[in-house]
Amino acid sequence: MLKINKLNSGYGKLQVLYDLSIEIPEKGITVVVGPNGAGKTTLLCSIMGIADVSSGEVEFQGNSIRALPSYLLARQGISYVPQMGNVFAELSVRDNLQMAGYLLPTAKAKKKAEQMTVMFPVLKKFIDRKAATLSGGERRMLAVAMGLMKDPKLMLLDELSTDLAPIIAEKVISEVARLRDELGITILLVEQMAKRALEIGDTAYLLVSGGVRFAGKARELLNEPELCNMYLGIKQPAAQNIPSIEGSR
Amino acid sequence: MAPWLATGLIYASALALAAGGITLLYMSTRTFNFAHASMATIGFYVIYTGSVLGGGTPYRYFPLAFLIGGLLGVICYYGLNRPLLKRRAVEITLMMSTLGYDLILLSVIQMYCDYLTFSRRLFPRRVSMSIYDFELLGVSAATIILPLVAIVFLTALHLFLVKTRFGVAMRATIENPVLAGASGINADRVYMLAWVIGGGMAALGGAAMSMAITGTPVLGMNSIPFMFAGAIFGGLHSLYGGILGGFVIGMTEYAGVFYLSQIFGPWVLGYRMGIPLLLMAATLLIFPRGLAGIPWAALVRNLFGKKGGIRV
Repeated sequence: MLKINKLNSGYGKLQVLYDLSIEIPEKGITVVVGPNGAGKTTLLCSIMGIADVSSGEVEFQGNSIRALPSYLLARQGISYVPQMGNVFAELSVRDNLQMAGYLLPTAKAKKKAEQMTVMFPVLKKFIDRKAATLSGGERRMLAVAMGLMKDPKLMLLDELSTDLAPIIAEKVISEVARLRDELGITILLVEQMAKRALEIGDTAYLLVSGGVRFAGKARELLNEPELCNMYLGIKQPAAQNIPSIEGSR
Repeated sequence: MAPWLATGLIYASALALAAGGITLLYMSTRTFNFAHASMATIGFYVIYTGSVLGGGTPYRYFPLAFLIGGLLGVICYYGLNRPLLKRRAVEITLMMSTLGYDLILLSVIQMYCDYLTFSRRLFPRRVSMSIYDFELLGVSAATIILPLVAIVFLTALHLFLVKTRFGVAMRATIENPVLAGASGINADRVYMLAWVIGGGMAALGGAAMSMAITGTPVLGMNSIPFMFAGAIFGGLHSLYGGILGGFVIGMTEYAGVFYLSQIFGPWVLGYRMGIPLLLMAATLLIFPRGLAGIPWAALVRNLFGKKGGIRV
């Protein structure tokens, strides 16, 4: 669905990604993991036309989308949930949802917003409050709801679990798996909770210092003890029964 | 009504409009618009030309002044601001570019004045617009109409920003352009509209100001420090702060000079322009984020005796 070929990009004179090639297959979760500073967020910013792309190709459904401004990408069905600044703090929750559904017809946007408040009841409770007054977790839920408002074909999710209590982070990540299974949305998930993300993911890329260190099935990456240990802080390989979160209780 | 109060109301309403425009442009495109000066002057010449050549009251030509100001804003946006923003120019560059635009507009104003002088046999370089005014309820009409114009315009602007989809999109883009873009909002259109409204407010402010003070080709140049003072007084990050700031700056100039000269004598008149700026400086020392940064809610709570301290 999304194809990136020999991408070089960064911010101004600072280059972050070097000859990066990635392919995101349709209807699946592609997980991008890696240590801090590997260029995971920059990858998303390069797709969205926010970072400076110096060379390389970015193709979405067969068409080049390189250097397109982000509002045109949104119109093609790409939804982006940034890690920081992912809600409009000065607007009410209601206006935030309305803005997220900016491209939908008004009636449909209203209906979608209602669906979101059913999916995330906390949003209904605070519908007229400024987003700035929400807690970190509530904000993140609003951000995900805003990403979903757009009825996207492809969702780019940046570090969903940041700011969230572990138990809620777990829930949000499971929710991502549900998006794939029930709505058939293609997802590019950048995540710090590497183990959990790889468990629900289909394809995985390990990014190190602006290049791809591993590409393949998500489960296979979990079976690479050396890579997992060195870059992801996952001590044991997944193949040997690690007690899951549910099991430990 | 005391004359100082009547003139002060007109002047303060004019500054409120102009300072609001400066704030809006700064919030949306990070640009301190120096061209506000000549855009305001052009607003004055629009109503002057209308009143002299077209006839009728000056108020008939206020909408035209707004439109021409908006047009000048669009030219500035597409000609200067947008290309510079695309190259990620820093704020100083953006600001200086508008100074250049201001000088171009000032030259155009001078040429236009020459045209009026030599071809039309008029005296456009020193104009008292109040002679085209009429009397309403015992005072000059401007005293009543212009504050009303400001209130109606600013209320409409407020409703637009709060109630309409595009207005909310405008606020969203001002706060977070990246996320707004990812939501499908075309920031380009938002910025263009900001320049239409900002430029229009400058011209409207200039037109209103000429009903209070003598209209000259440097009407805007002379008053731009106070437009900026109003915007800075308001805190620069709140449109409503900027509007209030402009109004307070305008009012204190007239009220200050009136009361202080009664106490200290007429020599105070020579320092009239310093009075609002002193007030601004003093306020900013206590509330560095300007009027919009003052915790009004907490202040009110304190006044009515409820618990809760003031936090700045």
